[in-house]
Amino acid sequence: MDTSNPALFVNAELLRMHVGRRVRAVIQVLRSDGGGSVVGNSTDGQQLVIKGHPPGPLSTFVEVIGIADSNQSIRADIWNNFGDVLDTASYNVVCQLANGDYKHLFI
Amino acid sequence: MSETDLTKDAIAILSGGDAAAESDIRPVLQVADIRLVETQNQTTTERYRILLSDGSFTQQGMLATQQNDLVRSEKLQKGSIVKLTQFVCNLIQNRMIVIIVNLDVLVEKCDPIGEPKPYPTKNDWSTSSTARQATPGQPVNQPASGGRIPSSFDDGSAPHVPPSSSHGSSFPSSKNSRSYNTANASPKYPKTEYGSGVLRAHVKNPPKLSYHQPPHQTVANRGPIAPRIIPIAALNPFQGGWTIKARVTSKGDLRRYTNTKGDGKVFSFDLLDFDGGEIKATCFNVAADKFHPQIELGRVYMISNGSVQRAKENFNHLPNEHEIFLNSFSTMQPCFEDDKFIPHQQFHFLPISDVEKLARDSNVDIIGVVSSISPSSSILRKNGTETQKRTLQLKDMSGRSVELTLWSNFCNAEGQTLEKMLDSGLFPVLAVKSGRVNDFNGKSVGTTFNSQFFIEPDFPEAQRLKTWFDGEGKCTPAIPISWGMSKTVSQIKDEKLGTLDKPDWITVSATLTYIKMDNFCYTACPIMIGDHRPCNKKVTDNGNGKWRCEKCDVILDKCDYRYILQMQIQDHTGTTWVTAFQESGEEIMGISAKDLCTLKHDEQDDVKFAERLRSVLFTKFLFKLKVKEEIFNDEACVKSTVVKAEKVNFQTQSRYLLDSMAKFKDEDLGTLPPPKSEILFQHLGRTLGNLQHQIAQAL
Repeated sequence: MDTSNPALFVNAELLRMHVGRRVRAVIQVLRSDGGGSVVGNSTDGQQLVIKGHPPGPLSTFVEVIGIADSNQSIRADIWNNFGDVLDTASYNVVCQLANGDYKHLFI
Repeated sequence: MSETDLTKDAIAILSGGDAAAESDIRPVLQVADIRLVETQNQTTTERYRILLSDGSFTQQGMLATQQNDLVRSEKLQKGSIVKLTQFVCNLIQNRMIVIIVNLDVLVEKCDPIGEPKPYPTKNDWSTSSTARQATPGQPVNQPASGGRIPSSFDDGSAPHVPPSSSHGSSFPSSKNSRSYNTANASPKYPKTEYGSGVLRAHVKNPPKLSYHQPPHQTVANRGPIAPRIIPIAALNPFQGGWTIKARVTSKGDLRRYTNTKGDGKVFSFDLLDFDGGEIKATCFNVAADKFHPQIELGRVYMISNGSVQRAKENFNHLPNEHEIFLNSFSTMQPCFEDDKFIPHQQFHFLPISDVEKLARDSNVDIIGVVSSISPSSSILRKNGTETQKRTLQLKDMSGRSVELTLWSNFCNAEGQTLEKMLDSGLFPVLAVKSGRVNDFNGKSVGTTFNSQFFIEPDFPEAQRLKTWFDGEGKCTPAIPISWGMSKTVSQIKDEKLGTLDKPDWITVSATLTYIKMDNFCYTACPIMIGDHRPCNKKVTDNGNGKWRCEKCDVILDKCDYRYILQMQIQDHTGTTWVTAFQESGEEIMGISAKDLCTLKHDEQDDVKFAERLRSVLFTKFLFKLKVKEEIFNDEACVKSTVVKAEKVNFQTQSRYLLDSMAKFKDEDLGTLPPPKSEILFQHLGRTLGNLQHQIAQAL
């Protein structure tokens, strides 16, 4: 397991704090523009743009891991399909806890 | 001013002891004099002695200490015209003393009216006392009887008239008052329950008196005394002469019973008063016949003269350690005023998650949304009678659900109503008062004779529940509390579960790590015992393709195959062995024991067998375990049996973990997150990771 490049759990709100860093987020796919970007809702309900080429068909919920290049976009190099059902509320809380009280458990 | 006309012949009536006339009057009298009583004991509250006049005669009286302020503030003074609203007349020796409990001051200052003379004392005492005796020892149970003297009198009470001569000439009768201390020769005190002996003793030794109640009760039925009402919470077995004012919150049926003493009838009802005190009242036989038709559910009554006793644990469904027993002397008087101040019902709702912690047979009030209900079924009771039963699931915001069992009449009446509502797509809110906790198969709640149902009630809690349900509650699956408390593997050992008399029922969320496949099933006897259960005893191979059951003593061609799985389960705290039998085995393996056996032995299909095993291992389950210590060859060993196994619902689990973390966080106000919540968080992470893994697998 390659631990050299840990990715932080983020939602839209936390993304802005980690611009330029490696992050991971789960989004609900709204639409994919053919030209290498996907627009989706973050787990706290804001729109994010994911740049890159997904390796295959995407399910409703996708986890993307990559570099945050702006407040609202991520340049993804890993795409994981999370299926069509996900409890976004729980995931959102995890994001908040992972960046807050339990930061020391993660990075 | 007719108001201030003194009531004619009032003193005569008061002194005459005419019970009938006295109970109606509220005499208007003038205060001829007020004196402060000199008590030997300086520490007691001051007492005022009042000389009352109706213009013709005067009568001695004592003012209840709660009215002392009237004197101190000079609202009540010599010459004031007053109306006695609550009073008792007591005959002490030859003297009549009026104890004034409550009075209205009509006129503060007034010149003396008339030239009253002291009312002649009754020297033909014996005749009047027999007269009193004749009034059929009017049981001191009328709400307006003279028995009720406020405790302010307990410093020695009225008749304890100081013998001192300081009272001098303004009380022309003082000559007689001095005779108080001499033994009273009069023999004929009316006998009452409390015994005249007490009175006599009292009179002989006034200074030693500390017992205030009985003497006054010797004069029964005196005056329109409004009884002193005490809160239900103050009732105790050692205090007689109480009155409570309460609303009937539940009325039981008149039940018949037979015991060694013969046949009897009993009837109970619940009371709730203004302060929120609740108590159960019971009547037997005559009293039951008397009160059952009188009492109306929801009405307010003033009740007195029952006996207060400690409530029996098994039958006590209210938060009061006492209960009342009414007898034929007890009284119930309906009240019409004051109705709205006494609440109609009182609940102490517990969140369903807390019901888990309650002991068996404890009483609980719960409120929740009915998520499902089963049809009625007949159950044979131990005593041979048949009764109806049905169950429903109640869930609330704590994320837990509880099984509520409805018995007999609840089954039919409320049960059907609820069933109809659910059939039409509604999820009604149900509040239960006085349900009983049962721990037969994990904790559940059942109805009793004393329970009450409120469907779709108008309480704020009900509103909150509806809002929650319409929002997220509907979709969030709730973990039934019958699954027992959620524990980790290490807690089984640490908390010494199962070592007490009864087995412990717990829920463990863990991963199945190993199954002993050598002997995963056994050959079982399929013969049905009774209606419900097959024998299930292990049958032995007879050698010729047939099986023999020792218990049923038969030889069978075919036998059942039943699971007996020895498995290891593991969570972040440790690993432990558990055993799963047929039902839970099937839940876990996903295939019947027979089929699996066929796969292994008959078809010798190792590949498929291994595949099946692999698909099951390392899956996370929610195990409902029964943990009990067993003695095997002098060795005590804690055995865990899987009663039920369910694949973990990650959403529910995550929510539950997040909730627990939040709870821990609240408890710990320090800056560092407490270790517990860290572990939970890791757990949560793992749960989410599992979810990811599962999804990946599925895809």
